[in-house]
Amino acid sequence: MILEILSVGLIISACLALFLDEVIHSVAALSGTFLFTALLYYVNGAIYAGIFQFAVGVGTLAILFLSGEMLSSKSIKKTSPRKSLALVGTGFVLSLPAIFLSVSGPSGTFSDVSFGDALWNYNGLDVVLQALVILTVALGIAIVLYERRNGGK
Amino acid sequence: MDFVILSLVMLAIGIYGLLTHRQLLKVFISIELIATAATLNFVMLASSAGQGLGQAFLILAFSTDTAISALILALLVIVTKKYGTSNINEILKMQEKGESEAEA
Repeated sequence: MILEILSVGLIISACLALFLDEVIHSVAALSGTFLFTALLYYVNGAIYAGIFQFAVGVGTLAILFLSGEMLSSKSIKKTSPRKSLALVGTGFVLSLPAIFLSVSGPSGTFSDVSFGDALWNYNGLDVVLQALVILTVALGIAIVLYERRNGGK
Repeated sequence: MDFVILSLVMLAIGIYGLLTHRQLLKVFISIELIATAATLNFVMLASSAGQGLGQAFLILAFSTDTAISALILALLVIVTKKYGTSNINEILKMQEKGESEAEA
């Protein structure tokens, strides 16, 4: 039951995030989308995925709140309560297929792979290369900022 | 309860938003929804099968997602500072006006 409630909340918040007129309200609804996604992961047993989704979502939302406040024009009309209710209803209707329908696929036999095994034994090289890419990007940004500061003097 | 359909619905909402919205921040939100739909499908399928592999791939997917977000936000800030608006239609109009003035 809790999975169904989370799914309905996920779709409704996604609809609100896209179709609310004010940017700040959209970003607030997007925070609901991230929260429901993290809870879905957590409830379904993917605990690490839930934690990572929550952490990345918080970072993205902080930046989006700032940029939304800075860049959006202030003269945007406000969303009427009627439209908000219509959006919630649309989201609820859109989430019904996920609750009542199912897709049957080929069932395979899976061997259990733990998270640690999957991360280090199967994807160890990926993780190391990813860390190198992130380090390169951070160094690049530091160099650009340093050059700009020196150029400004 | 089927997570494939749930992620398909999320994907459809994101693509619809991408096609219909002209505000760059809404475009960014649409892309975030599409990325969330993709990762949701991946993680839920893997965790339903009792695999930790999905979570490991999610961590790799997050870095790509974050890089995309950073790139889009940087472009958004640059475009908004240059043109004074984040509406794609208005930006295109300004570009066309600038080109016609340059030709004249």
